[in-house]
Amino acid sequence: MQSLFAWLLLLATAVAASDYHEQLTLRPLPLSSLLASFDFRSNTSFSDYESQNFRLFPRSLAQILQHAGTRELHLRFTLGRWDAENWGARPWDGTKEGGTGVEMWALVDAGSDEEADQKWLTLTNTLSGLFCASLNFIDETRTIRPVKSFQPEGHHTEAALAHSRLLHGVLPHEVVCTENLTPFLKMLPCKGKAGIASLLDGHKLFDASFQSMAIDVRPICAEGQECVLEIEETIDMVLDINRSKRPKGNPIPRPVKADELVCDQSKPYHSEDTCFPVDHLASPDWQLDQVFGRPMKGTCPLADATVPSVCIQVPDKRHVFTSEGSVQHKGADGQSRCYTMDENNDFTLFLARPDNPGEGLEVVEPETPLLYAERSLTGYGQEKGGVQAILTNPGNEDVEFVYLESLPWFMRIYLHTLATHISPNTTTAVDFSTPSSDIIKEIYYRPALDRVRGTQLELLLKIPAKHTVFLTYDVEKTILRYTEYPPDANRGFDVAASVITTLSPRVMNLRTTSLLLYLPTPDFSMPYNVIIFTSTAIALAFGGLYNIIVRRFVGADEGEQSPLKAKLAKLKEMIAAKLGKKSAAPEEKTAVEAL
Amino acid sequence: MSRLLATALSLRRDPRVQKLPPYLSFLCVLVGLVWLLLLPLDDYARKTYISENALLPGQVHTYFSGSESHVLRAYRSELDVLASEEDPTRVNDKIEEILKGLGVKVGRQSYTYNAAGRAHSGENVYGILQAPRGDATEAIVLVAAIRSLNGQVNRNGVALALTLARYFKRWSLWSKDIIMVFPPDSETGTQAWVDAYHDAHDPRYVAPLPLKSGALQGALALDYPEVDRFSALQIIYDGVNGQLPNLDLVNSVGNIASGQMGITGFIQGMRHHKGTYKHRLTTIFRGMVKQSLGNSWGPHSSFMPYHVDAVTLQPYGKGFHDEMAMGRVIEGSFRSLNNLLEHLHQSFFFYLLMQRDRFVSIGTYLPSVMLLAANFSIMAIYLWVQSGQVDADAQKKAGKQPKASATEIAAVTVERSLVLPVAIVAVCHALSAVPLYVLNNTTAQLLPTAFAALAAMSTAAPFVLSYAVLPVYKPTQQQILLMKSLSLLLLGMALSTLATLNFSLAFVIGVLTAPLSFVGLSRNEPLRWASATLLTLLAPATVIYSVVAGVGLDMGHLLEQASFGWTVWGMYTPIVVWTIWWPAWTISMVSVLC
Repeated sequence: MQSLFAWLLLLATAVAASDYHEQLTLRPLPLSSLLASFDFRSNTSFSDYESQNFRLFPRSLAQILQHAGTRELHLRFTLGRWDAENWGARPWDGTKEGGTGVEMWALVDAGSDEEADQKWLTLTNTLSGLFCASLNFIDETRTIRPVKSFQPEGHHTEAALAHSRLLHGVLPHEVVCTENLTPFLKMLPCKGKAGIASLLDGHKLFDASFQSMAIDVRPICAEGQECVLEIEETIDMVLDINRSKRPKGNPIPRPVKADELVCDQSKPYHSEDTCFPVDHLASPDWQLDQVFGRPMKGTCPLADATVPSVCIQVPDKRHVFTSEGSVQHKGADGQSRCYTMDENNDFTLFLARPDNPGEGLEVVEPETPLLYAERSLTGYGQEKGGVQAILTNPGNEDVEFVYLESLPWFMRIYLHTLATHISPNTTTAVDFSTPSSDIIKEIYYRPALDRVRGTQLELLLKIPAKHTVFLTYDVEKTILRYTEYPPDANRGFDVAASVITTLSPRVMNLRTTSLLLYLPTPDFSMPYNVIIFTSTAIALAFGGLYNIIVRRFVGADEGEQSPLKAKLAKLKEMIAAKLGKKSAAPEEKTAVEAL
Repeated sequence: MSRLLATALSLRRDPRVQKLPPYLSFLCVLVGLVWLLLLPLDDYARKTYISENALLPGQVHTYFSGSESHVLRAYRSELDVLASEEDPTRVNDKIEEILKGLGVKVGRQSYTYNAAGRAHSGENVYGILQAPRGDATEAIVLVAAIRSLNGQVNRNGVALALTLARYFKRWSLWSKDIIMVFPPDSETGTQAWVDAYHDAHDPRYVAPLPLKSGALQGALALDYPEVDRFSALQIIYDGVNGQLPNLDLVNSVGNIASGQMGITGFIQGMRHHKGTYKHRLTTIFRGMVKQSLGNSWGPHSSFMPYHVDAVTLQPYGKGFHDEMAMGRVIEGSFRSLNNLLEHLHQSFFFYLLMQRDRFVSIGTYLPSVMLLAANFSIMAIYLWVQSGQVDADAQKKAGKQPKASATEIAAVTVERSLVLPVAIVAVCHALSAVPLYVLNNTTAQLLPTAFAALAAMSTAAPFVLSYAVLPVYKPTQQQILLMKSLSLLLLGMALSTLATLNFSLAFVIGVLTAPLSFVGLSRNEPLRWASATLLTLLAPATVIYSVVAGVGLDMGHLLEQASFGWTVWGMYTPIVVWTIWWPAWTISMVSVLC
């Protein structure tokens, strides 16, 4: 306990003293997964920032921010999905992750919306180059101005806030890959050469079941000190231990040899060639350099040495072995320990298999999240569809949150169909009697304009404890102009994840998975084009010929007048006669004038 | 040009041209029939090919082998114990336990269908193997019904699906979620599941799904009850209402089976296909019969209405291929589907397969049924023109003038009184609701009796109409012609539309109704009675009875299937029979009798 206190004290002074620190937190999860959270934080004083005197803050990014007048920047690259059911609450309370693809939001210094748009455009385009991502595709149709869900996180003066705009954009289809990791590592003071960043290998990172890279830049003002601009880079990844342990040279999961199969020998039919496998339940052992594919190369010399670089959250009962020269600090809760290590030596860590597998307490019990959210498309066909979001509150407290949907313009939402149903978690029966107004407290809706902007829908909802809310609405699928279809039109169009920000009992973030929306797609293939062209040609030719053959051609004066025409003419005459009386006088007048 | 016009204008007044339509119409029928017989020839059919480059069937090495067979045997033993028990939930519990042990998310769904007075209920259990790096936008499905198509326990199918789930879980390359569905039977379970997946289910009978994934990109069903080694693999591809999966899927699976694994693939029960004309034609006909009946032919059939391409794989015969080979076929197929960047759309959705690797596309076969349908339209126009002309005798008396002016031509056409013909046609079509209602709301035991009563009534109806009802209104010859014209027009229209949805059904109905065009053209008394006899032989009820007797089916079973098909699968064959074929037949009969 005393050591922890001392350690905390050290930490507190260290934050003030040093401008850079990094930490890796490892947390084994149920079902043989491992969560690795990398956190790199550095800051620079505003005076240094303004005078372009950069030491730990990446110059490339800083200059972009200055050029685009950005006060605060949040950038997320996410791949895969967080399995809340097995893994529990999200790391960092979900504040450091985005929806699938790329998501960014920024507070730009602008007096008007036009100016904000201009700066946002500059920002996305320059960042696009820096991060090798298609951020430049975040155009105005994908940009929203959040009202309730996203708020500035840093410390800003009232005047600055009044003179700035928060914009949010998302690219759900962007595939995050190695080319995004490289620029990310380049921005670290030690690059990927030393410290915990040396563990980051593209092969392992992008083979993870879930991974999220985040960059947050925000001003922090401590009382009595000069304000600093803080940049925090985080990477969260969930590795499947069995998968990561496979050697690089032989990554194919071939069936194991028959004698290596772990069998349930109590089965009556168990024999030499029949085996009921039990392998997947146990929490396996692993070694740091094995699961990350490379050892950790010492610590970053620029980092604050007092902050332990590596922490692991496992129950104290589990055995952890580390390489020589490292010092262990145990946490007070009996569920975590941290390691400081030698600057120059490689570091590795080995977590042994639990002594008595199957007894529980193999991993730290995951915390139940405040809310489970799931969203899916309903309906079928190419004209109409619907969206259903299932929001479950598993806890004993009411949860109040903002639900944000940023939908593309070609997905036209029928707001009048927005409905909620509530049911207790224990049953599947839906209670239709509770009116929507009891659940949805507020609605902020900014309708889409075709080809100009997307829909922004923010709902303030409240779910009672142990209840599930079904939120549904209908949408119409728009037919696009044929040049607007992407080359892979039949793949469908990605719809960004909806963002949930809880307000009470505490603030945390949560995102659903993205959706794939099929739009009516014309058949772009050659035979159908040929059919369409030839049909048109034949119709034109046939129409003309048919007309000539079946029509009777007579002189205009020869033919008998059609009865309808005659009646029309009569009616005309009548009206003319009636109007004639009235208009006779002015007509005369004009006649006189003309003379 | 002007000369051409003049010729054309004089031609249409030529009496010879006015006699032409019946011959033209007959020619259409003839060509339409011959057309179909030409399709198996090499000049008209093409070899199949993979159109979607992303599929790359058979290009990956498959690793499902070795110790996986030990696991498979264990799962099969687990299943053997439980499948014999009465309580089906025990099997589902076991499947759920196994899947959960693998780290697969499991959902269950119960459903009850009421058709023909019988309740068909069951519980689906399914697992979603989430793509390790995916984002739940797309999914592919593997179906293994607990009861296979012939009612046996799908021993190898279910065990193989479970083993594959365990094996697939280890791979990280999946870009789509893999959903393993275990319906209790091959008829109702998948339908309930797919309906609920797309929220198109009736919540009174079918429960919603507790778990969902993204858009379904393809599905494979396994029908593998025999434990012995097999010799060939049947690919069943017919969907509900004659819908077909994308040809690329059928080809990919076929390619992987035969090209990579060396398992002969075959279709439509033609195990020993020699590639001869006769075999090809038989295959086409078998396919057309299945398509025209329109019911479900396997667990895959229910996927088709939702634009999810699916096939059922059915190992066949005794040979040397074991269940691991079958597993590798599925692994290969799933790897191919996993490669897909877009929904299957490149290849054909409308085709007739005559061999595993030979097909005719819609452009080649559609004219045959369109010609059949055109025959009705031509006759309808012919009858319409005829109804507008003064009787030939009257014309002769007046003395024909070869160069009648345009106004004179108009003068010889008479006004058509349409009220009665329209009324008769409308009433006949409206009456078709009666058999539909009766046959879909009668319990299975009473169905044969109900059908017999309906058959008797439908045979009597034309007689009652023409001898008891119509004389009251004193129809003229013109009105009879108009009535028939309208009926044929409707028939032609309906068939040509149907041909684009379900070619085979339109073709079968077209062939059976083709004589309707030509009966009743002559007022000759013996010919009329001969026509009436022919029509009675071609009546819907007579045809159904004779087919049932000919094939050796049970009438009650057939009717129950029809009623079940309509309630569960939305099969529209009975509707086509009763609302298109039956009214057309009735009106033709009336026109002959009058």
